Amino acid sequence: MRAMERIGILVGVFGFTVAAIYWAWTHSTVLGTEWVGVVGLILAGLLGFMIAWYLWMTRRKLDRDPSDDPLGDIDEIQGDYGFFSPHSWQPLFLGASAAVIFLGLAVGWWLVFIGVFIGGPALVAWTFEYWKGPKAL
Amino acid sequence: MVAVGTMVWLSSELMFFAALFAFYFTLRGNLPELWTERTADLDVPYAAANTLILVISSVWCQLGVWQAERGVPARPAGTSLFRVREWGMREWYVVTYVFGATFVAGQVYEYANLISEGVTLSSDSYGSIFYLATGFHGLHVTGGLLAFLLIIGRTFTTRRYTHAQATGAVVTSYYWHFVDVVWIALFATIYLLQ
Repeated sequence: MRAMERIGILVGVFGFTVAAIYWAWTHSTVLGTEWVGVVGLILAGLLGFMIAWYLWMTRRKLDRDPSDDPLGDIDEIQGDYGFFSPHSWQPLFLGASAAVIFLGLAVGWWLVFIGVFIGGPALVAWTFEYWKGPKAL
Repeated sequence: MVAVGTMVWLSSELMFFAALFAFYFTLRGNLPELWTERTADLDVPYAAANTLILVISSVWCQLGVWQAERGVPARPAGTSLFRVREWGMREWYVVTYVFGATFVAGQVYEYANLISEGVTLSSDSYGSIFYLATGFHGLHVTGGLLAFLLIIGRTFTTRRYTHAQATGAVVTSYYWHFVDVVWIALFATIYLLQ
């Protein structure tokens, strides 16, 4: 996890540095500051820092991560990684309804409404799929 | 895993808003007279009040998260609604929802006022970027409100409030805080910096 954190810091530092250089470079041209590049690079840097900051916060709360230990054994990292859905029809319905909604933006509002009325139940079904009944998560 | 994944996704959403901010600054740099003219129509105190409502909703959201992490989905059965100290995640999230919905209503009212003054999505470049930036943000807030409803609903369908449920509440709060921070940046850019 520390490796990911450091990559995040690297991306952040790179973004801010290049943004500063880019600002200074375009600022002195005839056309003036090129804002798309400056804003995009600053926020790309923030993207990196955001991930690094979050991983740092998480690292403080948890025990030592075996993957950070260069002398660690592979089997130290085994354990419960959380729940992964084995199979489900809901993503298909969700994706199909999203496709219909966005197609409707081009075709006409009637298709958007059809998509929303398929998508609403699909969203609820997907959210509650593993959270009801005796085998709830 | 879910929490880390949500954070990574939110950082990509940040790039989505980056494009809108870049759009704003480019137009602003190229059309200073239009900007001076249009920003005079903005109601900054109104927007500041709406911003305060959204920021306070984030406070309620965080209080809900702390209750979720303690494993308290709702106030104990039979407890009066006025015993705020015993509120669980559910009660705090409902209050968050109400404040968030008020924010959206405030945005809609502001849009109605601006449209009546001639600032529309297609009136000019300022209108374009104003409605695109604040509109996409408003859509994100609305999506977050829907997520709150689903997370609150999920507390009613199971017998135990597990760590998995709490994680769901936590990632919803990540999204909400993100939406709040983006709005503060948007507010500062559009209404304060102008």
